[in-house]
Amino acid sequence: MLLSPEVLSLFILNLIFLFFGMIAFLLSIKIFLKWDINSTTNIQYTLEKQSFLTATIIKYIFMIKLPLFLYFIFTLDKISSLLTGAMCAAGVVDATSYGTYLLVIKVINLYLFGFWLTLHYSDIKDENLPYTKLKFGLFIIIFFIFIFEIILESIMFSSIDISKMVDCCGTLYSSTSSSYISNIFLIDSKIILSLFYTNYFAIVVFYIFKKKFLFTLANLSFIIISIISLISFFGTYIYELPTHHCPFCFLQKDYYYVGYMIYSLLFIGTFNGLVVGFMGKTNYVDYKLSLLFNSLYVIIVSIYPVIYFLKNGVWL
Amino acid sequence: MIVLKNVTKVFEQNQNNQVIALDNINLQFNEGELIILKGVSGSGKSTILSLIAALSKPTSGEVIVDSKRISKLPDNFASIYRRDNIGFIFQKYNLIPTLSVKDNIALPQIPSNPDEQELQKSLSNVMKRFKISHKKDTIVKNLSGGEQQRVAIARAHINNPKIIIADEPTANLDEKLSLHFIDMLKELKNSNKTIIVATHDPLFFNLDFVDRFVEIHNGKIN
Repeated sequence: MLLSPEVLSLFILNLIFLFFGMIAFLLSIKIFLKWDINSTTNIQYTLEKQSFLTATIIKYIFMIKLPLFLYFIFTLDKISSLLTGAMCAAGVVDATSYGTYLLVIKVINLYLFGFWLTLHYSDIKDENLPYTKLKFGLFIIIFFIFIFEIILESIMFSSIDISKMVDCCGTLYSSTSSSYISNIFLIDSKIILSLFYTNYFAIVVFYIFKKKFLFTLANLSFIIISIISLISFFGTYIYELPTHHCPFCFLQKDYYYVGYMIYSLLFIGTFNGLVVGFMGKTNYVDYKLSLLFNSLYVIIVSIYPVIYFLKNGVWL
Repeated sequence: MIVLKNVTKVFEQNQNNQVIALDNINLQFNEGELIILKGVSGSGKSTILSLIAALSKPTSGEVIVDSKRISKLPDNFASIYRRDNIGFIFQKYNLIPTLSVKDNIALPQIPSNPDEQELQKSLSNVMKRFKISHKKDTIVKNLSGGEQQRVAIARAHINNPKIIIADEPTANLDEKLSLHFIDMLKELKNSNKTIIVATHDPLFFNLDFVDRFVEIHNGKIN
């Protein structure tokens, strides 16, 4: 079992989240089953007090969990130096069979936590608390995925064998790799870039005409297309190496930790884009935030090839 | 209009020691009325006031003010309701002793972030009305009991609330000052506000300008 200070701090935080999350989970079930805002019974008044306490617990867990994702990535990157063969977080993710699933679950949870917080803030903005039942119902579902994430994280860190040699990102993210990711590198860059910029253009158009469901759909596809284009095309310009496609290396100091900014912009932009479609009331702030952060993302990733071309006069 | 519908309030120190402050009461106060809630200490008068002011919630039942179910309001909305609708006069005045008269009266306006000119204008009006203008810069702890009471009334009035709540307002005053307070109460009634006074001071029990007396005994209306 690997117990670096970073992993240990994640374990301790998980235990705290588990303890408070369990209290919130039990109260959420009670609130979800018995909530009736029109009722003036003792039970309802008690639930109203408990809902405030429960929502506060959940809010703080999720508000801490959001930036903690970046800390998790940082931890993977940090412990990569302990594994023979690993050059960055990619090696740690690949060191066990749980790493990739954990990463996917963590990304899904990021969006779910964000949705819950958005729902919560919409709920408390209205004196009739219209989303209370829904938000506690959603928490009951999220809690299971949250528990699954904690279990998977514990298993992953527990099963890392530091005496075992792992693959480096150069091997994992190469066109000769046997992994499913290698299929991405077979797609022509022109097709990927066309899809990427067309998708962004669609976001802009749907923003102008305020087509909220199409805007959300465009954001959903933008998450996938952005990650593919980042791995397959833009990343190579960040590294200035045509064969290096690692989605983790640019999180390192050598690249000025630019990856944290890139992923944060993509998350905030697409998250707000998804909120536009999923929330009942149209909130123009979400529209604007989505367009702003997605645009910043497009500018940041696009600037690397442009600078490379200006400096060298050729494309990679 | 203020309506208390099947309101029960139980204070639980623990499961074996419950105090039933209000026992399924129904009450209605009309707009512009002056009501005296009378009853001995511990009868439930102050509990009714705190429910109307949304300072606490009933154990069951509901409190409705102008068609709004204020007992169902979340805390942040209850604060806004209080700020906009309720003026408080407390038994011990609850003034900040180290602030001046003017600053104490201006306090309820601060959350609304008013325009400085408008604030000064309303301060000047309200201080003139309650005859405290000459002491506007005096630190409150240096005032007499009667003057402090006037500051408390002026503060309750500064936001121009629809409802004024007074909890044992003359408990700390001698008879002369209590009669003076009653005079001010009469003047307040002319401004068409709903005024609810909880008291066990007999001076209030024979006032001809009071619209209604409500007697409370052991959490029930007599």
